[in-house]
Amino acid sequence: MKTVYIADTGVFVRCGGPDNDKFQRLRRAVRQAGVSLRIPQRVYEELGGDPVADEYPSGTIPYSNGFEEGWIIVTDELDYTNSLVSTVMDEARRFIANETGRDEDITEKTDTALVGLAAQLLDTGEADHVVLLTTDKPAGRAAESLLPQHGFSGSVEFRYVSVEYLETITADAFR
Amino acid sequence: MAQSPSRSGRPPIQQLQTVADLLETPALAQLYAYILQHGPVTVSEMIDELDIPQGTAYDYVQNLETSGLVEKTSEQRPYEYDAESIALTLSTDGETQTITPALIAAVARRGEDEDIDVYIERHGLDGLAVALEYAYEYVKGSVNHRITARELDLSPLEAEIILQSLEPVATEYADAST
Repeated sequence: MKTVYIADTGVFVRCGGPDNDKFQRLRRAVRQAGVSLRIPQRVYEELGGDPVADEYPSGTIPYSNGFEEGWIIVTDELDYTNSLVSTVMDEARRFIANETGRDEDITEKTDTALVGLAAQLLDTGEADHVVLLTTDKPAGRAAESLLPQHGFSGSVEFRYVSVEYLETITADAFR
Repeated sequence: MAQSPSRSGRPPIQQLQTVADLLETPALAQLYAYILQHGPVTVSEMIDELDIPQGTAYDYVQNLETSGLVEKTSEQRPYEYDAESIALTLSTDGETQTITPALIAAVARRGEDEDIDVYIERHGLDGLAVALEYAYEYVKGSVNHRITARELDLSPLEAEIILQSLEPVATEYADAST
């Protein structure tokens, strides 16, 4: 079984702070398990897109070390010509709007990028199981409830990345 | 307009003075928030739990007692103290903001959580109060950092940073918000 792990912005913010203990713990766990974390393009843009964030201790995250070491991988742009990807992303937009009581048109592509990436990985056979590591509960729930409707029953797992989750994470989380 | 239902019977403007002190002094706010959540408690329990010097703790408790926010609940030593909840609603030019125990608890964390401190520097206490409302939603799962960012005109990264920082307060005070 091929499991792919997708990580959201919140995972790396959770790792932030002056001592970066949680970042080192996550790094060790991922590398010991011999896996990698995929991040969608849009998450990559969120992580690096705001110089103001440098003022915050949690905004200075050494995530780019993960690229060099190869355990964090930025994925290519999503393939919107893949009809499953675009369908699931549309559905996710409606799902998230509904969960959050917002208008559908205020949610954007970034909001549904995690769900879209999960759909693409499953559809292309690159993964037969996807784990979403995120603090975005509406998106996590969208993935868990929508993908089974397209034949991927039990193939997606949403893990809420709390402080406790990162403080106790080991390679077992990725096996 | 300032409203504050109060057992102490302190009039609103006098309470405003005390609340202003709480908002300006994180250690005082931390003590008040602790008594409110865990009271009745003794001063030595507070000193054990919070990283506040003994002399400061006694001064602050006396301070809070004088202002009527905290009262002795036992007549024998060691004295136990309990706190009274406050809700001070302020309106200016059509904008209304309520100072709640949760907001005071959030401010209390600025000493230990520099992310909150930076956020207050950048967006003020009013900004923090608004972010706290989003943090309740974030805990419930009815908002995420991306929507928060667009609605509060922050970057997604800054939104996620403050939401995570306020998450413990929003979780602890979730029942009080509804």
